[in-house]
Amino acid sequence: MRDLPAVHLPLLAEVLQQFLAGELAASGLAGYVVGLSGGIDSAVSATLAVRAVGATRVIAMALPGPTSDPRSLADAEEVASWLGVPLELRDLSQPAAQLAAVLGCGDDRLRFGNLLARLRMTALFDRARPVPALVLGTSNKSEILLGYSTLFGDSAASVQPLGDVWKTQVFALAEYLDLPQRVRSKPPTADLWPGQTDAGELGFDYRDADPILWAHHEAGLDTGQLLAAGFDPPLVRHVLALYRRNRFKWRPTVVARVSSSAINIDRILPRNPEP
Amino acid sequence: MSTGTPVPDDFLVALAQIATRPGQPRYNLQRHLHAISQARAAGAKLVIFPELSLSGYLLNHGVGEAALAFDDPLLEPILAASRELTILIGLPLLEPGGGISNAAVLCEGGRVCGVHRKLYLPTYGMFDEGRFFVAGRRLEPLSCALGTFGVLICEDAWHLSSSVFLSHPPVDAVVVMAGGPSEVEEGAVPAGARRWHWIVGAMATTSVTPVFFANRCGWEEGVLFGGGSWAVDARGASLVEPAPACEETVLLAPFSRPAVAWARTLIPIPRLERFELWRHALEKVGA
Repeated sequence: MRDLPAVHLPLLAEVLQQFLAGELAASGLAGYVVGLSGGIDSAVSATLAVRAVGATRVIAMALPGPTSDPRSLADAEEVASWLGVPLELRDLSQPAAQLAAVLGCGDDRLRFGNLLARLRMTALFDRARPVPALVLGTSNKSEILLGYSTLFGDSAASVQPLGDVWKTQVFALAEYLDLPQRVRSKPPTADLWPGQTDAGELGFDYRDADPILWAHHEAGLDTGQLLAAGFDPPLVRHVLALYRRNRFKWRPTVVARVSSSAINIDRILPRNPEP
Repeated sequence: MSTGTPVPDDFLVALAQIATRPGQPRYNLQRHLHAISQARAAGAKLVIFPELSLSGYLLNHGVGEAALAFDDPLLEPILAASRELTILIGLPLLEPGGGISNAAVLCEGGRVCGVHRKLYLPTYGMFDEGRFFVAGRRLEPLSCALGTFGVLICEDAWHLSSSVFLSHPPVDAVVVMAGGPSEVEEGAVPAGARRWHWIVGAMATTSVTPVFFANRCGWEEGVLFGGGSWAVDARGASLVEPAPACEETVLLAPFSRPAVAWARTLIPIPRLERFELWRHALEKVGA
């Protein structure tokens, strides 16, 4: 109970690759566009995509902002080089600063971080359009459950291969896929402002939070049962508070149903029908 | 039942483990024709496809778009191919009086010769079949030139009473057409296939009947299907190595009528079923 159940990494990688190949084939599009942040999630996602559809059908982009750590770009370059895909650099510093000035949010770290995340989303979808390509999401299950993402920013994508994969398992996948050591060992960060780390913002490490999330979300243990199982009480309360508070992000848009044919309520239809 | 030719005692059964796409029936048809061609080339007399093989599984309200009647042009190439071997496919069947069944359709000699409508429609967890299909009302074996088969569609097989019913009188073999979603766990075999192998083995050994299990593989709408198609004989011995989890495969397994008869001579379990216990249990719960 105190550890995540083990997962067979070769099989996990194989089925996720098949998912990516299948989604691309079913869409009829030409490839994937992925933003490489220099972090582990985007590196694992891009690696799975390259293994699934080949390096020639994966476009990697680096999208630094004015407050990005230069080391992140170097890490992204290392991942792209390791994967054998060119890295397209689009510096978002100037447009981010200009838009922040127009909106008056430059002094608000969180608003500016969200703005940059959404600019990255804009760049990725814009790059995907002429290919045409799908945008490869890089969110993992832990951060989705915790709501640790920018709505319509880094959470926006065509497909999310890691969306049901715990962060602890992403670490393990990175080992299995033999990603560059630097990417495997650096602390997770959204890199939206200097010194930002996931653990610093969330107040805990994913490896500590994941067993709690698993025991609650998958195994159905309530707070009392989690405490009885020996989990740290403040951590349990903190994790479960995020789990509840940010749940709206799991389903970001709600349609007001006023007919008997509301989309995705009364009419849930296959995404990729034949013409 | 087709006429004229003697019922063969031994023949090859092909399990067509394919990856279908919901909303893409023409693509799915091509996967069928490809697998049928492989099965025919290998000498199979019967080819079995997974649940809802022609339409894909995760249709939701798309069932309405995908439902077919027997005169649908999409079926014509399959019926034509059934002049050379017997074909069992899955599709959403438009019922004449309204409603759509999750159906197994047996094609032989250029025509439909039998239909089984799924009895148990899972409506829990990720499943929502009760919302989109009407349940079948009878479990009756399907007969064709090759013999008599008990056909179960996915959840039908999770109710082990099904294989008991199909043992009285005994069918030649049980066929399971599955669209079994799966998870990834510690083992190298997907969780779905692992569970299915338990069910298939238990069904074969307790009913002393060979079981031919055709599952689908691949992904639909973000859901993984676990493959692992397999066949076991009437004593529970593997007739062929299970198909891999992720690959489209045409798996070939032998059927032997004399072997079934010999197994049933040695092991009388189905004949010893004590239906008075069932009757008592039914009376007790008021069913």
